[in-house]
Amino acid sequence: MTREIGINQLKRRDFLKAGLVFGAGAAGLAAGYAAVPDAFARAVYAAKREGVANDNILVMIQLAGGNDGLRTVVPIADPVLHDLRPKLAGAMVSKALPLNSQWGLNHNLGAIKGLWDKGKVAIVQGVGYPNPTFSHFESIRIWETGDPTRRQVNGWLGRTLATAYDSNGHPLTGCACGTTNVPGALRDLQATMTVIQDQKKFGFSGGSEVEAAVGALYKGTPGIYGALFDTAMATATSTISTLRTSAASYQPMADYTDKVKLVYSSKNQLAAALQLAAELIVTGTGVKLLHVTLGGFDTHYTELNRHDDLMGYLDTAVGAFYQDLAAHGMADKVLIATWSEFGRRPKENASGGTDHGAAAPLLLIGNPVKGGMYGDSPNLTSLDKTGNLPYSVDFRSVYQEILAGHLGAGSNQILGASFDRIPFLAAPVAAV
Amino acid sequence: MQGIGRPGKGPIMDWISPLGSESARVMQVLRRTSFGYTPAQLDSALSEGFKKTVDRLIETKPVEPPILDAASTPGGRFGVGLLQQWWLDHMLSTSTPFAERMTLFMHGHFTSDYRKVGDDTFMYWQNLTWRRMAMTDLRSMLTQVTSDPAMLKYLDLAQSTGQSPNENYSRELMELFTMGAGNFTEDDVRQSARALAGWQLPQPDSYATVVVDKANKVTQRRPVFTSQKSGVFNAKRAFNGSVTYLGKTGPLDTQGVIDRILAQPATAVYIASKVARHFVTAQPDAAYVKGLADTFRKSKYDMKTLMHAVFTSPQFNAAQSYRTLVKTPTEFMVHTARALGAPSLSKLVAGAGSGMGQSLFDPPDVNGWPTNESWISSNTVVERVNFVTVAMAQVKKSLPSASDAPKTQLDGVLSPQTATLLNQAADDRARWFITLASPEFQLK
Repeated sequence: MTREIGINQLKRRDFLKAGLVFGAGAAGLAAGYAAVPDAFARAVYAAKREGVANDNILVMIQLAGGNDGLRTVVPIADPVLHDLRPKLAGAMVSKALPLNSQWGLNHNLGAIKGLWDKGKVAIVQGVGYPNPTFSHFESIRIWETGDPTRRQVNGWLGRTLATAYDSNGHPLTGCACGTTNVPGALRDLQATMTVIQDQKKFGFSGGSEVEAAVGALYKGTPGIYGALFDTAMATATSTISTLRTSAASYQPMADYTDKVKLVYSSKNQLAAALQLAAELIVTGTGVKLLHVTLGGFDTHYTELNRHDDLMGYLDTAVGAFYQDLAAHGMADKVLIATWSEFGRRPKENASGGTDHGAAAPLLLIGNPVKGGMYGDSPNLTSLDKTGNLPYSVDFRSVYQEILAGHLGAGSNQILGASFDRIPFLAAPVAAV
Repeated sequence: MQGIGRPGKGPIMDWISPLGSESARVMQVLRRTSFGYTPAQLDSALSEGFKKTVDRLIETKPVEPPILDAASTPGGRFGVGLLQQWWLDHMLSTSTPFAERMTLFMHGHFTSDYRKVGDDTFMYWQNLTWRRMAMTDLRSMLTQVTSDPAMLKYLDLAQSTGQSPNENYSRELMELFTMGAGNFTEDDVRQSARALAGWQLPQPDSYATVVVDKANKVTQRRPVFTSQKSGVFNAKRAFNGSVTYLGKTGPLDTQGVIDRILAQPATAVYIASKVARHFVTAQPDAAYVKGLADTFRKSKYDMKTLMHAVFTSPQFNAAQSYRTLVKTPTEFMVHTARALGAPSLSKLVAGAGSGMGQSLFDPPDVNGWPTNESWISSNTVVERVNFVTVAMAQVKKSLPSASDAPKTQLDGVLSPQTATLLNQAADDRARWFITLASPEFQLK
């Protein structure tokens, strides 16, 4: 049933007689049918340039919806915060975990505070970009593509995969965990990547016969989605087989159980996604770029409990992930970075929440990090005309340091320009 | 690592469009508007022909789904699974599937999710409202969307007051529901947030005392709704004053905001473009969209006029549009169940959507669901194949004949691989599996 036959061996007229028509290439085009639009052009797997030399790994954690920076890294000594947030400021300041006399972490970030104390957390303050948009989707796209001018369509991690790694034949080089769709940051038609929502369910319920049948079915598929279908299926069958081996050899060395009951958007199983990431890393599957997402940060309304819960969820997941990697001797290789499309407005609204904001802090976590605060501290008395915090660090400065300093990838080629350095890495692998 | 498919180096192959034939046009319009078809539905449409089929789709009054008794549950939390199954049962059995397809389109456009709304009764009402309004006109639709109880909670308009407006609904009304990004300013967001303030949730019909913890005898007083209601406007919470919105200054209420949005040329273009991308082709060209937008605006934003223009446009049946749309997970699953003549699969369908990226009443964010190529990933292709396997296992006693399936389900336009595998298939079971799991069947 699954024997493969080349097109020239097929008895074409038998199918025509039965009223079936082949998808056709040159013949179809000659007959005036559509050429494939550029945007969906078949992935062209050019010969790869020199791959990156080191075996470092990046895990990006998206805090989707616009994370409240002031509630993540709290200006505990600033009286203006209480004027701007009469309802929200009290508890967030009094319960914060102090980092120094000026700043504290959200009280639910205990594990991350523990890593800060060991010098393994860098906080980059005031990260953003010029002329910020307050649209979730535009800003997400800007962060995903690394292009505030909105011309770039491919994701910055997708371009990294395409230019710096040989992902063809190694679909686990880039992997999105805990989701069903390719995140925009990883998207690039010239790169192959894997998407796994739930490892336990990732396999063919019909067994090896089905696996073989669909493997044969999804080959040489015509049309604008043909390559996407074929690559997705080939990636799936290859990864399923890799995961069979890795699951058997992986023993978690940390407790990934959620310690916080999410009141909103519990669909984001960050801990499970990071546990899958840990498995892929410690079992040597060759994974280099990972992306996970925690949603629910669009806290326009009753932010108090919801944001604290989300912080707790992030903390549990990241704490366990780091511990697991460390116990497996892999913590030196892995850089964890958070990102969010924007922060939230310093002034609270009447619903006990906050509206869309601009600049916000980013967290970089792991052994590769040189702990401390970077960037200019936000000044609550000099808000812009929209009432938001102006940025002091272009987000592409952070990308640049990750690409060049951690992954050893050509950041100029990937980002299209060079940016000010933010030296948050303990031992950057290449000068920018 | 081996077995990774690589595109060949030869010329790019495309599907050969069969849309020169009337029967292929009928099958395509049914695929794109009706979640596929049973053999009887296909026969009936084929005898009507394309034009009459389009007229019937657009002019037939939607059949309402059965009343969901759980909607009067005190507190409104009866479980999203029940709600999903209720809707899917109706999608699978209704005689007016186009109404369900439009309701699903509206659910993705004027979107809300049950998690944030926190009231399944309100989500149920929203589904009923979207079905009733889907083929009316944009002006009355926007009025209903603005005062919809689930929407009032989802985008926080119920929290907004003139004194301290919440911008969430104000922004998305323009950015995602009508005009699109780039056609308004941040100041417009702030100003219309003021103008729209004042809406509140409806008052319940009664309250019921519910035991929430038997052991400790803890009870709660929960609201009960016995009939569908809209949000109510409270003038005391509204903004009294003049605003400058989309270039004009003066006092402005909700209707005024909507009318000013409808006066913007961007609105018709934005809606027409979205409709074209959902029903015609992944990348409609600007001139085509503009033509549809002009028709839409001239008709005072009448949805029947717009949809009729879309389905009867040359672009709808153009070779260039053939197989350029990817079935959403719901379309794929309902179509599979209909093809197998198995309407009892609603429970399976309700549970299987999330792995493919679409769980009804639970969109990923306020932008609704993605489209087309976003549905294709290593995770979703596995989930789609698994759905076919499980769905076929559940109907093993009465699988219909598969001899016509490649023609009726795939227009007879097959890739060499699909054709080969079908030719080699030992029995109907294998033929159905290949047909439904094929890349061709994922497209519409």
